[in-house]
Amino acid sequence: MSDDLEHLDRDGALAEALGPLGPVTRRRVLRTLAAAGLIGAAGLAAAGAADAAAEPQGDVAILNYALTLEYLQSAFYNEVERIGSLTGETARLARIVGGHERAHVRMLLDVLGHRAVAKPTFDFHGATDSQNAFVRTAVAFEDLGVAAYKGQAPRLASPTYLEAALAIHATEARHAAWIRHIAGVLPAQSAFDQPASATHVVSVVGSTHFIVGRTQAAGMPGFTG
Amino acid sequence: MRIWQGAQLAEERSEAVEHTASRRAVLSGASLVAAGIIVGGVGAPAIGSGSRLGDAEILNFALEMEELQAALYEQALQHAGLTGELAQYARVVGGHERAHVAFLRQTLGSRAKPAPAFDFGDAVTDPDRFAGAARVLEDLGVAALDGQAASLTKPSLAAVATIVSVEARHAAWIRDLLGEPPAPTAANPAEGAARVMAAIRRTGYVKGSA
Repeated sequence: MSDDLEHLDRDGALAEALGPLGPVTRRRVLRTLAAAGLIGAAGLAAAGAADAAAEPQGDVAILNYALTLEYLQSAFYNEVERIGSLTGETARLARIVGGHERAHVRMLLDVLGHRAVAKPTFDFHGATDSQNAFVRTAVAFEDLGVAAYKGQAPRLASPTYLEAALAIHATEARHAAWIRHIAGVLPAQSAFDQPASATHVVSVVGSTHFIVGRTQAAGMPGFTG
Repeated sequence: MRIWQGAQLAEERSEAVEHTASRRAVLSGASLVAAGIIVGGVGAPAIGSGSRLGDAEILNFALEMEELQAALYEQALQHAGLTGELAQYARVVGGHERAHVAFLRQTLGSRAKPAPAFDFGDAVTDPDRFAGAARVLEDLGVAALDGQAASLTKPSLAAVATIVSVEARHAAWIRDLLGEPPAPTAANPAEGAARVMAAIRRTGYVKGSA
């Protein structure tokens, strides 16, 4: 499995869009991600010694992992819309895709109820400030989202959750193709899309420093969108 | 905006429930095999006779979708005089579909059914008709694979999942070329086998066994 950063971040989009950021130790990044619900406490403990074993265990943990990725995506599109840095087809994409990501957040909150992790706080470090930075980051995000859902879908026990995850998975793939087309790269790069483990996704997201903390609310009961 | 999105989601969910119900009805009997006979003209008996379809039947169902798509692209590239990005689309996506066919044939081994004969009419001679046909078959391919996912064993599901998102990318690409929304809904709908078979029949592209 070509489960590496180079494969997922083919165009170096995340790396380039983020530019030089302040040095943050891996340990601190992992702590932030754990607080944000992206990895479990067991994963954090394991990551201290090795970079393995961060896979979410059980449907609730998997759905919370998905929820955190959707929080991240929807915050990204929300912010770029608020700033108004996009024009034309790219602005249209951000509006429509952002709506989908917010819908995914609501779907997952509905399913998880009081078991849902809280929404983290984000800092996109300039990735929402210009059309170019936005497009490159969105390509990386959407391709990563496809791979992340694909990595977890076969691990879900509930057929109902599986159907929901696959419905989102295919939509993320459509988003990825659309933004890639706008970016001028092939919408469908290869005949087979490879999955990504949570360990890998966490390390990519961690490298962006987009997740900076967690809101005070412990869980989000009664969240209505 | 939020209310509208909520309503859309609710609608998609009820649609998904309906699809699930129809799929379960299909999967409870030999309907898919019967439909397979209609579509493929191949009267191969079901492998396994339980109340659920086994991986082999589902992968053969996927194989036929991929054969259909691969043939469309191959013939259109020969006869439709495609130019520009539509020609690039057909070359790239046609290559993917051939790779999917090869992968599924290899996975199925001796259980793989022969490809039926196809007749695409003007969908492989007229570029606009081709683009429309590709859009229909790519959207259908995503829905068909997702509709069977819950019935697959986990290893087969993991394998099919590497294909289904590529089909979704194809669907988004051809929709974009046609000026249609590449991602029309937040939750991509799945389709039960009976609906997929009916949709394929309506195209008239499948003529019988090879």
